[in-house]
Amino acid sequence: MGRAGLRLAGLQHRFGGLTVLDGVGFDIAPGEIVGLVGRNGAGKTTTMRILMGILTAQAGSVSWDGQAVDATLRRRFGYMPEERGLYPQMGLLEQVAYFARLHGIAQRDAEGRAGDWLGRLGLGDRTDDHVDALSHGNQQRVQLAVALMHEPVLLVLDEPFAGLDPAAVDVLAEVIAQQAAAGAAVLFSSHQLELVERICRRVVIIERGHVLADGTLVQLRERLPAQLRVKVQTTGEMTAAGGGDADYAWADALPGARVSAYDPDLGVLLVVEPGADLQAILHAAQAAGPVEHFGFESAGLIDLYRDLIA
Amino acid sequence: MSSEMRSSASKRGAMTPASGLALIWLIARREIAERLRGRLTRVITVVMIVVVVAGVVLPGVIKSHPKPARIGLVGQAAQALTQPLTRAAAASHISVSLSAPASAAAAHSRIDAKQLDASLTVSAGGARVEVRETLASNVRLLLQTALNETRITGRLKAQKLPVGEVVADLQPAHLQVVALKPQSAEQGARITMAIFVALLMYVTLAMYGMAVAGGVAQEKTSRTAEVLLAIVRPWQLMVGKVAGIGVTALGQLALTAVAGVVANAFAHSANLPSSLWALFPAFLLYFLLGFVLYAFAFAAAGAVISRQEELQAVTLPITMPLIIGYVMVFLAFGSPNAPWLKVLSWLPPLTASLMPARIALGHVAIWEIPLTIVLMFGSIYAMVRLSSRVYAGALIRGGGRLSRAEMLALARGRDGAESLRR
Repeated sequence: MGRAGLRLAGLQHRFGGLTVLDGVGFDIAPGEIVGLVGRNGAGKTTTMRILMGILTAQAGSVSWDGQAVDATLRRRFGYMPEERGLYPQMGLLEQVAYFARLHGIAQRDAEGRAGDWLGRLGLGDRTDDHVDALSHGNQQRVQLAVALMHEPVLLVLDEPFAGLDPAAVDVLAEVIAQQAAAGAAVLFSSHQLELVERICRRVVIIERGHVLADGTLVQLRERLPAQLRVKVQTTGEMTAAGGGDADYAWADALPGARVSAYDPDLGVLLVVEPGADLQAILHAAQAAGPVEHFGFESAGLIDLYRDLIA
Repeated sequence: MSSEMRSSASKRGAMTPASGLALIWLIARREIAERLRGRLTRVITVVMIVVVVAGVVLPGVIKSHPKPARIGLVGQAAQALTQPLTRAAAASHISVSLSAPASAAAAHSRIDAKQLDASLTVSAGGARVEVRETLASNVRLLLQTALNETRITGRLKAQKLPVGEVVADLQPAHLQVVALKPQSAEQGARITMAIFVALLMYVTLAMYGMAVAGGVAQEKTSRTAEVLLAIVRPWQLMVGKVAGIGVTALGQLALTAVAGVVANAFAHSANLPSSLWALFPAFLLYFLLGFVLYAFAFAAAGAVISRQEELQAVTLPITMPLIIGYVMVFLAFGSPNAPWLKVLSWLPPLTASLMPARIALGHVAIWEIPLTIVLMFGSIYAMVRLSSRVYAGALIRGGGRLSRAEMLALARGRDGAESLRR
């Protein structure tokens, strides 16, 4: 028996003359939440569709617990596609129960579970309504119920947060955390990097069909040069006319450090090479004025992403 | 990863293993439920029943009671014709209703009021018939016969001859009619039935075929297809939909057929030749084969569109052979035994329309039935292979409607067709 959970290996997919995936591979363990990040067209949705058997890869493998994933095994996965897909003229309870039945839930359980989930997601009083009578956010909840009904071992969510209000985002984030705590492996994609950062420990960054980076946020940050934030109190008179340039003129020619960003309130952000002389930087700052702040900042996912894409 | 977490994970997603057949049945059942809920299905069922019952009952109502010729006999001389008229009418199977208006004027006004067809006045100079427009030739003959008989009897009486003996001989002689080239008495009924089954086949195949295409198109445009294809295989989804709509169609047709048989039992009107009752199973058989053949083509057509409005244009090439088959039935009356007609009726796209109609006309050799069934099965197999490739490849494709070249590429098994083979 191989590693527990999901393993994608060497996925290749071409469409027409275009190579969409070129050797994509990563693992997800049960209980783990992994964020799949990448720009439009990078291959996120194609990866998920192959994983769900909607597309077939020209090469590579998808396995669960070391076993090649087939149609029967795949029915234990839960999927929420990027574009919502529900029968517009079908009642909520009937619809969710129908998908549960397709996932192999017995008839007697299906309606009970559908009712429970709709209740938990705040749609308990609308079980007879048609889907097309619901708002976008509520349709999203129904779609989530469809993906969760059968307690999937793997939850695959393609852009689940797109278009949700902050309250709905919180509900969804909580549900994802609960599912992972109960042992489900979770893969979700998002453009909202701050959300990815908040919800998962591990990210896979994908670009032009390749995996650019795969690791926990802590691991990935170690790959970036350190960022030093320095705020020097200035008189303000010098800057009134000529913009803020003069405020960080002191930092322009530091050995082993370069200016990455400047904000009049926060000060200057320096990218510091390993082994750079921090004392020399501090001295240079003190020479420019009283130092209000001097400390390292951890890079956000956005910085990581920008760094990797560049 | 802790061992507790792993064990809890293995419990998740516990389910009853469902066979492919069970999945297809689930999909078909949802389809049936959706159809039964729809108002359109109920309306169509009612319309079909009304049309068939009317078709069975109305010809009987119209034909079985020919109106008697209403003749008014004015005056004693005319009324003396009552007996000879009744006798002659009975002998020549003409139905008459005789009355005695008080006067010529009274008879006149009753003709005006369309209560009488003719009034007869007899005088020494001869007889006079008044009618509204024309006198039916058989009624004229009848009056002539009765007048002749009365005149001859009068002469005989005047000569004091034994009237009773002679009058007995005046009974109309028995006339035997022998047709040298008899036309089958059933022919009219057979042609009517041929037109009826051809029309019913065209309407039902086109209607239920469009239901399949519309259902597939709805799943594609609402993106439900992507959620479904993550759970079931494309061919299961397609077969389930075709089966669900097929069962609904058979249910509607069976209800209609039962209504027709019951109506016929009550009305005793449709004097259908008994051999025509074999049309029911023949129609259902060819409907089933034709429906399966066409439904898969309609399913593929539904999958290539990007908007519901494109459905008519995409399905037109599929409805064409149905229309052609229906029109050919009219050519069949003139030459039901022509070899070209036989060969055309063996061509699978035309079989469903032409075979039941030819069976109705009574010119089908028994061996042609198994032959056409085998040919239909063969073409259904080819159609399922072809259409499922297009269906699987096109169903999750975004963007606009697929071009003909893209459809051909899918049908040949390129791009996306792999997803069927998993």
